[in-house]
Amino acid sequence: MNLWNLLRYISMKHLRLQKAQIFMAVAGICLGVTAIVSIGVVNRSVIFSFQDSFNRMIGNAALQITGAQSGFPESIIEKVQDVRGVQYAVPVIETDGMLVDGKERSMLILGVDVLVDTQVRDYSLTGESADVPDPILFLAKPDSILITKAMADREGFAIDQKIQVQTVEGIRTFRIRGLLNPEGPAKAMGGNVAVMDIYAAQMAFGKTGRIDRIDVSLRKGENLETVRQAIMDALPKGYMVDTPAGRTRQVENMIAKFQNGFDFISYLAILVGMYLIYNAVSISVVHRRKEIGILRAIGCRRKEIMLLFMGETLMISVIASSLGVALGLLLANSLVGAFGKVISETFVRTSVTGIHVTWLYPAIGLLCGMITSLIAALFPAMSSSRISPASAIRSVPYTEDKIFTTLRLNLGGVFFIALSFLLFHIYGFSGPYLLAAQIMLAVGISFFTPAFLNGFVTLFNRVFASRLGSAGRLAGLNLRKNLTRNAVAVAAVFFGISVFVASSGYVHSVKGTTLNWLDSIIKSEIILSSGHPGSSTNAQIIPLPANMSRELEKVPGVLAAAPWRRAFTDYQGSKVLLSASDYTQYPKRSHDGAGPGFMKNQTHFIPDGNRVEISEAFAAIFSVKKGDEISLPTPAGPVVFKVAGIVVDYSYDSGVINMDIKTYQRYWGDMLCNSFLVHVEAGAKVGDVRDEIQRRFGVDRKLYVLSALEFKNEIRKMLDDMFIFNYALNVITLTIACLGIIVALFASVLERTREIGTLRAIGMLRRQIYGVVVLESVLMGLAGGSLGSVAGIISGWLNLEGFFVASLGSAKYYLPFGAILWALLLSAGLSALAGMIPARRAAKTNIVEALAYD
Amino acid sequence: MIQVRNVSKTYLQGKQEIQALHNISFGMEKGEFVSIMGPSGSGKSTLLNLIGGIDQPSAGEIFIDGSPLHGISDDELTLIRRRKVGFIFQFFNLLPILTAEENVGLPLLLDGVPFSRIKEKACRLLENVGLGLRTDHRPEQLSGGEMQRVAIARALITDPAVLLADEPTGNLDSHISEEILELLKNLNQAGQTIVMVTHDARAASFGKRIIRLKDGGITEDVSVPGCDV
Repeated sequence: MNLWNLLRYISMKHLRLQKAQIFMAVAGICLGVTAIVSIGVVNRSVIFSFQDSFNRMIGNAALQITGAQSGFPESIIEKVQDVRGVQYAVPVIETDGMLVDGKERSMLILGVDVLVDTQVRDYSLTGESADVPDPILFLAKPDSILITKAMADREGFAIDQKIQVQTVEGIRTFRIRGLLNPEGPAKAMGGNVAVMDIYAAQMAFGKTGRIDRIDVSLRKGENLETVRQAIMDALPKGYMVDTPAGRTRQVENMIAKFQNGFDFISYLAILVGMYLIYNAVSISVVHRRKEIGILRAIGCRRKEIMLLFMGETLMISVIASSLGVALGLLLANSLVGAFGKVISETFVRTSVTGIHVTWLYPAIGLLCGMITSLIAALFPAMSSSRISPASAIRSVPYTEDKIFTTLRLNLGGVFFIALSFLLFHIYGFSGPYLLAAQIMLAVGISFFTPAFLNGFVTLFNRVFASRLGSAGRLAGLNLRKNLTRNAVAVAAVFFGISVFVASSGYVHSVKGTTLNWLDSIIKSEIILSSGHPGSSTNAQIIPLPANMSRELEKVPGVLAAAPWRRAFTDYQGSKVLLSASDYTQYPKRSHDGAGPGFMKNQTHFIPDGNRVEISEAFAAIFSVKKGDEISLPTPAGPVVFKVAGIVVDYSYDSGVINMDIKTYQRYWGDMLCNSFLVHVEAGAKVGDVRDEIQRRFGVDRKLYVLSALEFKNEIRKMLDDMFIFNYALNVITLTIACLGIIVALFASVLERTREIGTLRAIGMLRRQIYGVVVLESVLMGLAGGSLGSVAGIISGWLNLEGFFVASLGSAKYYLPFGAILWALLLSAGLSALAGMIPARRAAKTNIVEALAYD
Repeated sequence: MIQVRNVSKTYLQGKQEIQALHNISFGMEKGEFVSIMGPSGSGKSTLLNLIGGIDQPSAGEIFIDGSPLHGISDDELTLIRRRKVGFIFQFFNLLPILTAEENVGLPLLLDGVPFSRIKEKACRLLENVGLGLRTDHRPEQLSGGEMQRVAIARALITDPAVLLADEPTGNLDSHISEEILELLKNLNQAGQTIVMVTHDARAASFGKRIIRLKDGGITEDVSVPGCDV
């Protein structure tokens, strides 16, 4: 009850008075909760949308059979249909098509056998269409297509209208034969779905005689697992027979890696919030030290003082968290489309039309906001309760909290660093543990900041202080007075700079390594592709026929055009990338020598040799060595390949298998490719050849025709985009560092009001006072900056080893000299800027008021 | 009412030990008005803080209204401060965010009493000290004398066993000081036990008994002439 009185009569008034501080704390927690809720809701919405689309697509099929990305022979349908317990085995072509009319929208094209497909999927057509897709019409006229009512309304299409769609065979015209009501598969992918006859789809999308999957429905009373096993037994190895739930789980796992990165941002945001709350409560305790003394003197117990600050924090956190939940939902609503697009382009085709909200993420956001705020406020609140009433009411100068002695902090530092090494020792460079180990390491080093600051100031006092006059001497002395508090600000700078240097070192090394690798593998002058040249996952790429190389080689100036197919296949239950290229073309132009990549030994790829090279990631994940044999599933059954070498290949982190394209075509029967590596004849102008290719082939299909330099620039741009998160992280951490310095110095100035008044009284100029405070700030910044740079170098290397080398293969660590120089300049410069606010307050100290303070 | 037995207090200043009080003993009866005098550094404020339970002695025993201030927990000591002691400070020590009546009611608010039940008493006490029309004013809107009156009212709200005043007129002009001392005298005449620390002989003369301190020890303990002790 008395706590309620305290909150009502003391806290509420402070909350109204300290608007700037409260705003900062509320903003910090609100930001964190917003991030947690928005990222959580967006993640959930994407998964939900994928599941929803998937379930609509699969209809009432109980099992789904899939094989290589290139498709598999139609003959498999009969084998499945013959399995006891199978009611219908329904073939499906599922591919991307690009609507050339309107906004060049990508859509999912379902090629179905209209005679049997309605047994597993419901199609309902709008009133103006026929009742059901007319099989006769579909079979007789292969240009027939059904689109959804939603797409028709959006694009302004009507029945019988002709639309143009980019296919493997180029841009083709289709006639709309009906509009699908928003039900069943037509509601999937946000309505971006079109249905064609399976035969027409096979022709248009280069899959003649092949299908992408078979949806299976079971006879009544059949056991799902028994039938599944029977189907697996009936098929050659390498086919996946899974339930819809199993398929969605696979995709969820694939997306999880990407989503984890965003989760990390939300955790970081909540850490920022915690730091701001810690600062707000700390400064409040310093600011209200006398009030605490008075309350203690007239009978307020220690625990009541502590609860007072905890109660205030709870009030702030409830407001901030509620705001954060509301903002998070708003943000999720506006981000979900863009996020879904990224997932769609990078991982799996999906279309997210809105957010899917359950109580879970708002509840997690609220709880996280409140719990982290209370944890952040705990230490300053505890220190408030230890304020002695006698010293506070008589304004005895502040003395350090004896709980955090330098010795105890050093011991804490040793403990955390030891814990970090233990994690490294046990788990190595495994992702989440590496992150935890790095956090432990950073926390451990930050515990040494008081000792480091002490040494730094000693050095400053001995070498520089006297050269800077009274300001130098006073700054050195002041920093030592409240070593622990100042060390918190130094630790904030340390943290900010270490993240900056680590992130710069990582980015610098990844970019350097990747571009070097590209230099070693891209020996052609022109790269031609049907989708974004940097896409490694084939998402939304409409393949090209491999025999287009013959047409390309007719272009004046083209020496050779080597098709490059990148398709996914299953290997031991995981999705790996098959990268097949025409290596016989290389000797024509490989006069400049082979790089470290798969060019090293051309003889590995004799077309009939059944030899492959694997990426380091593949070798590591599946424990495969040079000389081993691996069995790959092909549409005709498993084929054994000999591993001729292990090479650097950063295309796909789950593993890459390189092989000759003729070998690939022979076993997979896939005559498509994603791109062509075009070699230009000596003396021909690359730009002219490129323009001619674009002129000849760009009319019939959307193409990316880039010179090698443009291609590398695209990759460079893509890498830069990929690292936007790192740049954002730098800005956030450096901002926190500045806030930390402002708060520490502000508190320090408040505590020294009387001292500053005395200095002014005996003749110190305002600008001298200003100079002392700014100098203190710069010193704190430099101390944190130099410690942070060292930690950042170590952390950057660890990140490279843990997040790049461990998943993609060996890489060189490039010391980020520029970033280190920037780090030191930034730490000094930003600290000077941060110090100006408290310095102004100190310089404006009213002598009479300051001396009357006691 | 107050028993101080063999009390000593030492501080650590850096590595140096400072003996603020050395083996002090004295007693006070209910209704007494004792002035503690002495030069700066003699230990008079330290003694007041010990009697008030703001600080604890290094050695010796102190009893207030029969309750020991030694050998008890910080919470128990705090509750004694809240319920048995009223403090008046040289610099008033009012909370600037609270109005006069809220400042006065603060000790009872700490005890969990709703302000609606405190308000009447707080207003009455403010009227008694001549601030009946200033109940809604914040400290910054009051003069030094008025702030000290609010502090006196706050000290009285819990009907304390003893009123402790640390240089209550040290920050006021002579005219206002006289008024404050008259107020304390009247309170004492109404039965309130008061201990006042002062270095002003004129202020000390308002008490019934004067204890002089020097270098942490009692040098004199006398009744003020003309007062019935």
